[in-house]
Amino acid sequence: MRRELILTFVLLLTVFLAPAVGEEAAEGPGKLLGDESDGSRAHPTHVLPLFPENEDGEKGEQITPDADLVLPFSTKYTCGECHTYDVIKQGWHFNAVDSNAVPGRLGQPWIYFDGKLGIQIPLSYRAWPGTYQPADFGMTEFRFTQVFGRHMPGGGPGEVTATDVDDIGRQFVAGKLEINCLTCHNGHHGQDQGGVNGYAIHVSVRQNFRWAATASCEFAQVKGSASAMTDTYDPYMPMGDEQEPTVIYQPEAFNADGEVLLDIRREVPNQRCYYCHSNVYHTEGHGESEKWSTDEDVHLKSGLTCVDCHRNGMKHDIIRGYSQESRVSDNPLAATSSCEGCHVPEGSGVPEAARLGAPVPQHLGLPVVHFEKLTCTACHSGPWPSEQAVYSKTSRAHRLGTPNVNKAEKALPHVLSPVFALEAGTVVDDPNEPALHSGKIAPHKAVWPAFWATLAEDKVTPVALDVVEKALKKVFEELESPADGSWTPIPTEKIGEALNVLAEAVEEKVAYVAGGTLYRLDEDGAMVEEADHPAAAAYMWPLAHNVRPAAQSLGIRYCTDCHATDGPFFFGKVAVDSPVVSDTPRTVEQVAFQDIGRFGAWAFAASFVFRPWFKIVAIGSAALIGIVLLLYGLKALGAVARVLAEQNQ
Amino acid sequence: MFQTVSIIALLATLIGIAAHWVMTSTGPRQGIVVGGVHVFSLLLIEQKSSLLGALKKLVYLLAIVCFVVLAITGFWPTLVRGEHISGYLLMIHATFAPIFALCLAILAVTWAGSNRFTAEECPWIQRLLRQVTRLRVAAETRPWRCSLVVYKAAFWLVIFLALPLILSILVSMFHLLGTEWQHFVLAVHRWTSLVFAIVVIVHTYLAMRLRMAGAV
Repeated sequence: MRRELILTFVLLLTVFLAPAVGEEAAEGPGKLLGDESDGSRAHPTHVLPLFPENEDGEKGEQITPDADLVLPFSTKYTCGECHTYDVIKQGWHFNAVDSNAVPGRLGQPWIYFDGKLGIQIPLSYRAWPGTYQPADFGMTEFRFTQVFGRHMPGGGPGEVTATDVDDIGRQFVAGKLEINCLTCHNGHHGQDQGGVNGYAIHVSVRQNFRWAATASCEFAQVKGSASAMTDTYDPYMPMGDEQEPTVIYQPEAFNADGEVLLDIRREVPNQRCYYCHSNVYHTEGHGESEKWSTDEDVHLKSGLTCVDCHRNGMKHDIIRGYSQESRVSDNPLAATSSCEGCHVPEGSGVPEAARLGAPVPQHLGLPVVHFEKLTCTACHSGPWPSEQAVYSKTSRAHRLGTPNVNKAEKALPHVLSPVFALEAGTVVDDPNEPALHSGKIAPHKAVWPAFWATLAEDKVTPVALDVVEKALKKVFEELESPADGSWTPIPTEKIGEALNVLAEAVEEKVAYVAGGTLYRLDEDGAMVEEADHPAAAAYMWPLAHNVRPAAQSLGIRYCTDCHATDGPFFFGKVAVDSPVVSDTPRTVEQVAFQDIGRFGAWAFAASFVFRPWFKIVAIGSAALIGIVLLLYGLKALGAVARVLAEQNQ
Repeated sequence: MFQTVSIIALLATLIGIAAHWVMTSTGPRQGIVVGGVHVFSLLLIEQKSSLLGALKKLVYLLAIVCFVVLAITGFWPTLVRGEHISGYLLMIHATFAPIFALCLAILAVTWAGSNRFTAEECPWIQRLLRQVTRLRVAAETRPWRCSLVVYKAAFWLVIFLALPLILSILVSMFHLLGTEWQHFVLAVHRWTSLVFAIVVIVHTYLAMRLRMAGAV
């Protein structure tokens, strides 16, 4: 009896304690195999089993090419076997939707445009002043991913669980857009981001979020389209419809153990970065926008790769490369990976100059005040400033590298550069100091926002896209769109008509923002224009590439590269981009963005005419003074010598 | 550091001059405005009224005006705002600078002769020669005119300091010096200008006092 009681007690103790012990074991911190380097610079060979995400959202059975149900592999469960996925998703490329992520310096927004409706709006999940939250524009994360996921590496909004009624069903069919590690780290030339059957098409056209990573790799093909499936389609119970998404793996890619060799590169090849980060500047003569006729960044031509400067560890907190970054980034290399960090480090006692072979600039003859007023990029980056800021294109704004891109110079969205403006600063997570103003002039890309909005006590909030489309489609349907993909010209009277229609639809005060102007209705329903409205100001973000060689920097010839009364740096024109028809196209001078008085800049530039005379007078005066000093100095010496000589006699 | 040192040095100079004036002032006291005009006009009195004398006086007046403008435009942003000179102040500074340089050169040529040191103005050299060399040097018989010696020394110091003051900026305007050396020559210009300003203030004060005493 006593023995039975003891045994029962021990048994009960075991039953109650076992889960706690087991739980502790499961909670152990343990870095995964690939989370920390052992120091070897050799690339580990990635011969891996592939795993999908199963219907329960968990890790599925190992993929074999001849299985009954061939699923796309999941990077979370394949790469995540050795690299902690939840750590990686905190990285800069994936954390836009994370409200805890500090926004840092203003960057390129996602630009939604509709030339017919007069919309060109900068969107961002980051709290960059001048951009708008996609939700305010009526874009759910799912919709945002479908529109812009073509140039996203996955994660971010692509992994947010849908809550909108219309999106829940679609997300079950399409899946979530996981982080696609291969977007950056696949060294194989078969990685297809922008081809007709590549990543971008599968994300933005076919809604094949779950299949996108697999479709992009070199050893698999995906056919079919989730967008063609109804909301009741179950991807884990295919019906054999030829339109449903289907994966075909190349059998020869699998070894005897069912593993696949992946050409994984720790140092991301430039080509991978270029897919999302290419720029085109439509400088004089269209031919100059062609890749063969323009030079790449001088750093790349000197042998560096993008990731030599833009580094990160497993946390993927990639260095963006601006001078204030160390204030907001935990990356230990942030301070030493800006322009100054490599080229002119202040050092901590141990010499740090010439990292990566960076030449230490001499800046012969350059007054030091320039380093207080200008960023390095002002003289060294972007296209050489011309009379007018040029139309520019970027991969993300103009979906470069994907099929059927409109290659016309003026295809929307209209991004103008270089615009030499005072840097707005770096946004930090401190309510007392929301932005660190660098106070320096830097080259920027600029976009003039255009969108329909509600107006409440001077607060301008975009009207949701579907509301605008529904209300205004008929108002503008008779307007003709140009072939070059630019704005559909909107007459001013149409704006008034549209405002009235929109006001009825939303039952609020409405406005239209375009070209630096805010159009609204007064009490009598007549249209009022408020020029230079703050909500209509151009959104600008600093540019840093392409860096020109030192021999092509501003000021290399003479001070008048910038300080000339007709010099483009101060007096170049920036077009005020607007769909609204106007008799005279408006422009703004560069100096208006620099917090410098126009007359002051002009007068200073004009004074350089007298600089040679200054030098001549100064040299002559110094020579004369020197001769006087020498003459009387020698006389004094002679007097002393005479005194000594007379005393000797 | 430059800001602090400049403020202290300039204040000390002005206080020193005021104290010297109070302690050594002779003759009937005048009102500040009348006295100031009288003193300033003493500077313009030239014993030899000739074309050359008038030109010399004009150059001196122009030099003083330039000095005042340069001192204000140069020291104001540094001492008051703690930043480098730029914008309109820089333009004004750069406009008056070559004029001042030219005036200094002319003053150097025209005033050097009258500012030569004579034997009786250097009694300490005679003393030194007697003590060190055992040479038979006549003992000084006249009292040492301290103010005059200091006045002449200030003149030569102004002329001497004018060289680094001008050359430091001149050299920076050519493609010769890199950033580190640009910082160095800028520092040379700033510190030289501080000493220069103090010496000019002392020289001007002594000039007025000596003219009042009829010594020059």
